[in-house]
Amino acid sequence: MNRTKENILIRLQHIDRRWIYLILWLVVMIPLLFPFKIQPRPTPPVTQLFNYIDTMPEDKALAISVDFTPDTRAELQPMVVSLMRHAFAIKRRVGILAISVYGLGLGEEAIQQVTEEFNSRARNHEDSVIYGEDYIFWGWTTPVLTVMLGMGERITNVFPVDYYGNKTETLPITKHIKNYDDIGVLVTIAASAIPRSWINYAQTQFGVHLSCGITAVSAADFYPYVNSGQFIGMLAGMKGAAEYEQLVRQRMEKNGMTWLLRNRGTEAMSSQTSAHLTIMAFIIIGNIAYFAVRRKRK
Amino acid sequence: MILLLIILFTVTPPTAVQVKDLPNDDGGKILITWQRAPEPEIIGYRVLRQEQNSEEWETLAFVGRLANRYIDDEAKNYLPYRYQIIACTDTTAVPSEPSGFVSAVPHWFDTSTLPAFIGTIILSLIFIYFINRAQRDKNLFIRRIAGLDAVEEALGRATEMGRATLYVPGLSSMADVATIASLNILGEVAKKTAKFGTPLIVPTSDPIVYTVAREVVKESYTAAGRPDAFHQDIVFFVTDQQFAFAAAVDGIMTREKPATNFLIGMFWAESLILAETGAATGAIQIAGTDAIAQLPFFITACDYTLIGEELYAASAYISREPLLLGAIKGQDYSKALITFLIIIFTVMALVFNLPVKNWF
Amino acid sequence: MKRRIPLMIVLITGIFGAVAFFVPHPAIRSADELMRNDVQRIITAFSLVLGVGSIVQHHLLKIKRHAQFWPYSYITIIALLITAIIGVFGGIDVTKPGILPTRIASFSFHIQTIYSNMMVPLAATMFSLLAFFMSSAAYRAFRARNLEATLLLLSAFILMLGAVPLGRAIHKQLPAFAEWILAVPNTASKRGILFGVELGIFATSLKIILGIERGWLGGGK
Repeated sequence: MNRTKENILIRLQHIDRRWIYLILWLVVMIPLLFPFKIQPRPTPPVTQLFNYIDTMPEDKALAISVDFTPDTRAELQPMVVSLMRHAFAIKRRVGILAISVYGLGLGEEAIQQVTEEFNSRARNHEDSVIYGEDYIFWGWTTPVLTVMLGMGERITNVFPVDYYGNKTETLPITKHIKNYDDIGVLVTIAASAIPRSWINYAQTQFGVHLSCGITAVSAADFYPYVNSGQFIGMLAGMKGAAEYEQLVRQRMEKNGMTWLLRNRGTEAMSSQTSAHLTIMAFIIIGNIAYFAVRRKRK
Repeated sequence: MILLLIILFTVTPPTAVQVKDLPNDDGGKILITWQRAPEPEIIGYRVLRQEQNSEEWETLAFVGRLANRYIDDEAKNYLPYRYQIIACTDTTAVPSEPSGFVSAVPHWFDTSTLPAFIGTIILSLIFIYFINRAQRDKNLFIRRIAGLDAVEEALGRATEMGRATLYVPGLSSMADVATIASLNILGEVAKKTAKFGTPLIVPTSDPIVYTVAREVVKESYTAAGRPDAFHQDIVFFVTDQQFAFAAAVDGIMTREKPATNFLIGMFWAESLILAETGAATGAIQIAGTDAIAQLPFFITACDYTLIGEELYAASAYISREPLLLGAIKGQDYSKALITFLIIIFTVMALVFNLPVKNWF
Repeated sequence: MKRRIPLMIVLITGIFGAVAFFVPHPAIRSADELMRNDVQRIITAFSLVLGVGSIVQHHLLKIKRHAQFWPYSYITIIALLITAIIGVFGGIDVTKPGILPTRIASFSFHIQTIYSNMMVPLAATMFSLLAFFMSSAAYRAFRARNLEATLLLLSAFILMLGAVPLGRAIHKQLPAFAEWILAVPNTASKRGILFGVELGIFATSLKIILGIERGWLGGGK
């Protein structure tokens, strides 16, 4: 009997990976089909960014740099959407650009989604969000340094035409967003080390206020910059996106916008929670088997 | 008339209009500051500019009521200008006294980078001193680095098993110092694989890294006395797409089943995909990166990991060249100096309440 | 001579690059921008040709030798050719088509369509593998073998619990403690590693500029 128990424990230690993959797949899929409600509490880095944007002066714009690629879309796209919703809800101008060409499609998708949400519910011109007046999609250009340094001088030099082919000088919004001086905060949404480049070039040279939205795995990398004040807050991973969505929803409700909008970050929290708990269970089982075998061998 | 006088006397013009050339820039910018008028009915300020020898005033901008500064970034260098600020209400516009003339000039030194400049000079001097000293004293001590000691053992394992060695020099470009450090290690690894006759596979993710890596491996095979063993297929370009590269390398690992994997350079999210696949094939894995976020994955999935600056010390450690060892010494002493300064300034800030933060 | 010219180029451009950081004058900055933007772009464009040449040669050799798994090389080359032809001749912008038609009835094979419907899901799939690999790595490697491994295990546990509502249910300060671990000990140790890394970068760059480190030249003295 003892030998059988030891064999089970040894087999448990060296279990075929595919069983682990199967269990994890089930644990992630089932909550997506049968979701349960999970609402994380906003943490200080997320609240810091939210409050900063919320209290930005009227003449300052929010700039969003879509610096991620489609493979991290699930984690990062909700951040772009909720940042835009926040800015439009408090009537701040928004400028969107992409450091990577792959971010163009993602930026366009977010713009289409959020503008449709606002314009389909607008009761008058004031409530609408108009391209060229309330927001602008600058698009992409290369190389990266030219964008980061050139935007400090004059944005229209870096992007003489916008994503849609309009001359940026002719758009009314350009009078209000000439360079970094007119930007309250630039939020870089990235899955790489690009936020560090924004600090090295844009902030060091021009003093622009920066923040970032990054994948959860990179969050630990950027805490030093949040602590030193180089980033004003931070959105870390899907949880960061869900926290920001919650804050934006509360702000919109306060402004009378009790709309039922999809919050993809929040929706995915049930799967993420289940996956976390499962991995913890795996670790516990693995350690129990390890210690049990070690003790028996002694 | 009396009404006009009343209006004029109720809105004060902006005062203390000061202009100066914006410092530390490449020219073309003038900073204008003023003291705001206190009246609440002011809706904003108009900024005007006049060139010397011209009668005309040009409107530059209209700024909000809370503004008290403006940067004219369209000034021509060396051309004198003066400025005037007009406080505007719905019905009136009250001008300030014109400022004096000022010209924008480009600057030769950005004084805000002075601390960095001094730091660069000091650190460079430390390095140069130790590099010179290494030429006299060839027995400089460097502590053991387990990952680098294991290189020979790992390559020997591959030779005994008759299987290949896979070397991934990261996914970054030659602009990344980690890639350069990785290629230095590749040179040493290639010399050993040439000597042992172990097949070497080097997939690359950047075209320039591909060309440099090919030359590095070719030279190493020549230096090891085995130029005939080198063939073009050892080093090849795969793709610059992150996950496509990871998929390709995973495919190589599962098909070729290399006995030894080197994952050295700059990695991002694909690090765990590569390391875990390599672990599943039973290869011995030596990783090295300065991407701090990826270190936990490499430490978990690989047998040996070079952490941060151990990667940069690798070429000196393996080759034992005195000049390179001297540079490592310089690095260590620089770190000691920085640590000492941090402690001193922390004590000064905490104990003596000195505003150390503002000194830099 | 073969080595001296590249070493001289590296010395001059390295020192110039460092000087450009401290000098904002347009005489220096414009030259610096020319090097960074135009020259770099040209070199990258040419090197891409070399890279594509390499991958084609690599797979053609595999096909020629009938090496193991050689049919996959056919798939690689055919995919490369088709995508290149569509991209070059079919136009990049969907609204501005090129000389090659990229639509048959409602079936589009424009480069953007190929990218969105093939590249993006494939990349997302590879990225999703991370979840599975993380769980198998955690199961395999997170054993409390010694003090350091135990500390790693405990920190991972606290952080994972802090990220889910169960953590708050266990103790209301657990999420804050998890946040503290990230913000304080993690940041402190990362700063330490960062100092070392940045000094390492400084030292390596100085060695390359001064010609002490020559491995990048292709090995040898």
